[in-house]
Amino acid sequence: MAQAVQKLIAKVPTLVGAAVTYSKPRLATFWYYARVELVPPSPAEIPKAIEAAKGLVKSYQSGRLGQTTVKDAFRNGLVATEVLMWFYIGECIGKGGLIGYDV
Amino acid sequence: MAPPVAVSPLIKTARYSALIAGIIYGKRRYDNLKPIAAEEKRIEEEEKKVRDEQERIAKLLEGWPPSGVRYSI
Repeated sequence: MAQAVQKLIAKVPTLVGAAVTYSKPRLATFWYYARVELVPPSPAEIPKAIEAAKGLVKSYQSGRLGQTTVKDAFRNGLVATEVLMWFYIGECIGKGGLIGYDV
Repeated sequence: MAPPVAVSPLIKTARYSALIAGIIYGKRRYDNLKPIAAEEKRIEEEEKKVRDEQERIAKLLEGWPPSGVRYSI
């Protein structure tokens, strides 16, 4: 029993090394995309966002929404769902747990 | 690899404001629920004590009155 544990402990550095070698290129790809796509908006971009939101409201009022194709509507629906999911991730962070409130 | 996509600022602001709103909501709801749950736990423990006491008494009184006793003179 003790020998088996010792052999396992001797294998840990190789395992860690293998994990690092495996994850390095994948982390690099992730960072390559995240650096552009997942960054928070810079202060210069927030007025642009407000402008775009106003544009959305205007287009809703002018009735142009009836002209969106199903493909566009589906894509916008997916984007809206993704934004909604960020809210739930924030809730998990705020309540300090993944499932349920730890009271 | 495809080049990374430039995300529109509206989506970026919406994402991060949703994240921050979620964190605030989660924290507030947790702080709201914690005393309620503590109160319920306290009440449950008191009732449990009362119930345990009653069970203890019931166990002591088992077999009382003894069978075969005459109730009339």
